[in-house]
Amino acid sequence: MRLAQSGDKQAYAVLLEQAGRWLTRFFAYKIADDAVDDLVQDTLISLHRKRASYDPSRPFLPWLAAIARYRWVDRLRQTYRHAADELLDQHSDESHEDEVGAKISIDRLLHKLPEAQALVIRLVKIDGLSISEACARCGQSEPLVKVNIHRGLKKLATLIESD
Amino acid sequence: MSNNFDISALVQELEPVKPLRPHIPLLLSALTTIVAVVVVIWSQGMRADLSAGKPDEMFLIRAGVLLLLGGATAHSVTSMASPAVGRSQNGWKMALAAAVLFPLAAIIVATTGDVGPALKAMDSGMRCMGYSLVGGLATAVPMIIWLRKGAPTSPERAGWLTGLASGGLGAFAYNIHCPFNNVVYIGVWYSLALMICAVLGRIIVPRLIRW
Repeated sequence: MRLAQSGDKQAYAVLLEQAGRWLTRFFAYKIADDAVDDLVQDTLISLHRKRASYDPSRPFLPWLAAIARYRWVDRLRQTYRHAADELLDQHSDESHEDEVGAKISIDRLLHKLPEAQALVIRLVKIDGLSISEACARCGQSEPLVKVNIHRGLKKLATLIESD
Repeated sequence: MSNNFDISALVQELEPVKPLRPHIPLLLSALTTIVAVVVVIWSQGMRADLSAGKPDEMFLIRAGVLLLLGGATAHSVTSMASPAVGRSQNGWKMALAAAVLFPLAAIIVATTGDVGPALKAMDSGMRCMGYSLVGGLATAVPMIIWLRKGAPTSPERAGWLTGLASGGLGAFAYNIHCPFNNVVYIGVWYSLALMICAVLGRIIVPRLIRW
C-alpha cells in the first residue's frame, strides 16, 4: 500500500487483486451471495478513493477491515429484499481465520450486539427474509424486529473500529 | 473474481497521494484558536488579572480544562480520518470527564449557595456563548476538511467530537476575556456553549463527511 500511495501501478494492481480476494472471504456469509461481488467492488473503490487515509506506519489489514466494515454496514442499511437462496448457518472451509483475522472479522462485530438485534439483522439483512418471516422465525413481534434492526445497525455503525 | 475490469480501471487512475498526517489539521486548529484569541482580546479586551500578570486560580483551571478538552478531542477527531479496527481514541473521554466537574460543582454550589451572580450575568453569558460558537465554527473548519479528506467510519461520533473540540477551543478563546470566576457561571454558560457546539456538530458534520 505504501508503494501504491507513491504511485506504483504494478504494486497497486497486486494489492487490489489480493485485497479483492481477501474481501470476498471477509464478506462471505455476511451478506447475500449475489451481493458479495458488488460489495467487494464498492470496498475496492473506497480503498482507491480513500487511499491517502492509510497511515503507512501502521498495519494494512486493520485499515482495510475498517473500510470494509463501513461499507458492509452501509450496505445493510440500504433497504433491499434478497430473493436468492436462503443462506444456512454454515461456514466455509476457506474461512479459517488467524488471530488477527478473527479480531477484525464481521462476526466479531455482530457478536458485540445484543443477541436479539444480531439475530434479526442476520435474518432480514443478511439472509433476506421479510419482516414477517423473521418474526415467525425468531418469535419477536413485528415492531420489535424493526426496532431491533434499527438499533442494531445504529450500534454497528459505532463499533466499526472496535476489535 | 469478477472485478478484474474495475481493478484495471482503478490501477490506470492511480496517482501518487500523500498519506494524511494528523498534525496538519491540529496545527491549523491551533492557529485558528490563536487568531480567535487575538480577535477576542482586540474586540473585548483581556481579563484584568491576566493583563496584570496575576491570573486567578479559577481562570487557570478553566483555561487548562478547556484547552485540554479542545486539544484532546481535536486529536481524536483528526485521528478518525485514518481508521483502523482495534484502535481506540479515548483521550477525549478523560478530558470531558474533567470538564464535567464544572457543571457538577455548579449544581452542588447552586443547591447550597447563592446563584445570583451567575444568573445576573446573563448578558455576559450570552456573549460567552456567542463568541464560543463563532470561535468554535472557525476551529471546526480545518477538522471538517480533514475528515472529508479521510475515511471516518463513525460520522455521527465524528460530528459530536468535532463540535466538542471546536466548542472547547472557541470557549478557550473567549475565556481570555471572560472576567467571571464564579463556578456556577462557568458551569452554566460554558457548559451550555459546549453542549450547543456538540449538538450542532452532531447535526451538521455527519452530512458533510459521509463517503
